Amino acid sequence: MDKAVTVTALTVAYGAATALSAIDLGIPKGKVTVLAGPNGCGKSTLLRAIRRLHQPKSGEIRLGDLPISGLKEKELARHIGLLAQNPSAPGDMTVEELVRLGRYPHQTMLQPWSAADGEAIQAAMFGTGVSHLNDRRLGSLSGGQLQRVWIAMVLAQETDIICLDEPVNHLDMAHQIDCLDLVRRLNREHGRTVVLVLHDLNLAARYADRLVFLKGGSVVAEGEPVELMSEVLIEDVFGISCRVITDPVHERPLCIPIRNSTPRFRAETAA
Amino acid sequence: MSLVLPRSSALARLNRRAWIAVAIIAAAAMAIALCGIGFGSTWIDPRRIVEILLGDGSRGERVVVLQLRAPRVAIAILAGGAMAVSGYLLQKVTRNELASPGVLGVIGGAGLGVVIFLALLSDESNALVTSIVWQPVAAMIGASIAIAAVFLLSGQQASSAVRLLLFGIAVGAVCKAGTLILMIVGPIYRTTQASRWLAGAVNEINWGEVQVVAIGLAIAMVGVFTVARRLPPTDLDEVSARGIGLNLPVFRILVFALASALTALAVAFAGGVGFVGLMAPHLARLIVGRPVIPGIVASFLLGAIMLVGADLIVRVLFAPTEVPAGTVTAVIGTPYFLYLVLRRGSTNG
Repeated sequence: MDKAVTVTALTVAYGAATALSAIDLGIPKGKVTVLAGPNGCGKSTLLRAIRRLHQPKSGEIRLGDLPISGLKEKELARHIGLLAQNPSAPGDMTVEELVRLGRYPHQTMLQPWSAADGEAIQAAMFGTGVSHLNDRRLGSLSGGQLQRVWIAMVLAQETDIICLDEPVNHLDMAHQIDCLDLVRRLNREHGRTVVLVLHDLNLAARYADRLVFLKGGSVVAEGEPVELMSEVLIEDVFGISCRVITDPVHERPLCIPIRNSTPRFRAETAA
Repeated sequence: MSLVLPRSSALARLNRRAWIAVAIIAAAAMAIALCGIGFGSTWIDPRRIVEILLGDGSRGERVVVLQLRAPRVAIAILAGGAMAVSGYLLQKVTRNELASPGVLGVIGGAGLGVVIFLALLSDESNALVTSIVWQPVAAMIGASIAIAAVFLLSGQQASSAVRLLLFGIAVGAVCKAGTLILMIVGPIYRTTQASRWLAGAVNEINWGEVQVVAIGLAIAMVGVFTVARRLPPTDLDEVSARGIGLNLPVFRILVFALASALTALAVAFAGGVGFVGLMAPHLARLIVGRPVIPGIVASFLLGAIMLVGADLIVRVLFAPTEVPAGTVTAVIGTPYFLYLVLRRGSTNG
């Protein structure tokens, strides 16, 4: 399996607290990988570490053969695009202006603007279906539209790898599906490697080619959704007893939570 | 970001509109500068001023215009412009319209730097024992120490604009107090200049001082236009800005240093003129909108207009008493600041 990103013995700490301990992980090229786990498991930290937003205490992250620690800020931004968890931009900025910012890592002092930039912006806006919003101010967009515009910005960056940190958190169900369908289409049609952090286990199982379960700062299991979505493993990682059935529409595993099964919680409800 | 945009895009239109606004502001700046030179014990017609500036006029006229009035207006243009650009940069990288050299303590630091410098290096006759070139350097040292202190105090949360502003106000107040103490306990001959270091004024300026500021400003503006290209990503949150390849924490320090240098140049001879660095960039953004280069140019021009205008007002109202121009900017600026605080809902905390 060809790896887009290889994480080796990665440890990340916030002060004294260890957020990730000795993680080994490969992100397959051209696939959608979803990082999942309960709150505080370190999934967002891992995603941010891959984008070098956290300085690792030890260990290494490589893009192909390149260690990311040796890359310049703009070089890294030409390899990995990132949609932040709570991105923000001024409300009076226009859609086109924001998408243009995706070209920032490709621009230099001597070549501030090229035809390639224009094409990438057009393609990104067309691909995300926001071309018609071109001149609109960000403040006038709906949540779903805004998220598409942010994805267009990341897309205009033309990176091989795209990281998205909980991209559907603030969206209603229709826009969640809309957004993730879009992400998967970008993966299938453009061959981009996608790394997603998702809260919702069923969305994770539905969209992942490869699923990674984290708990307490460690990778507990990784594999295809059908392998990972077992009742025993889910109970161990997420602390819920559940039934797993096959979604009759998409033929993906579907988890039906029954009850919180963490010992403390059980003790409280028994008393 | 590039000025070469695809035709018919709204962005191109916005950019064009911005430059037209800049041209109008430039014309207004020119007009008020001529008024600034024209007004005095005798009124000199603007057309006559242009002729004198171009080499015409009697000896008397030339002395009044070139030696007495022009340097005063020139320093007001340069100092007001420098502070405004400084404020533009600070507002941009902190994503907060309340940020300005005054609020962040930079003016206070620069002022204290100059006053200490003057106290240490003046002789009994109130003359500097060293070159005036060192005066902006002293201001820069003071400004840098102040902004560094604000940064260190804000610590881990230096990216939170609110904390920066709170510590900035505190550091500024300490510097102001230090300046005041030096004014009071310093040798008596220095109190003639007290108004300048306490409020900011542009009287008693000579060409040598204008020259020092002009050269320093030319160098600083090269730096400003170099960083201007990297300013657009600073509109985004820190994670998104880094995502597209701008290391915001590092870049912010660079911009803060540049903004301090600009403020120091202004304070070095014009003193601590308040609120120009707050109001001018804010108005510039209202008038020209978001494009960066027109925004910087408009800030400079509006800053110049404000300080020349403030000086004109004190001369019209209080002549022959010399009231520092900084009192006018403070009187207008304070309510403006309060207005911005009250409508803070629209800013990024």
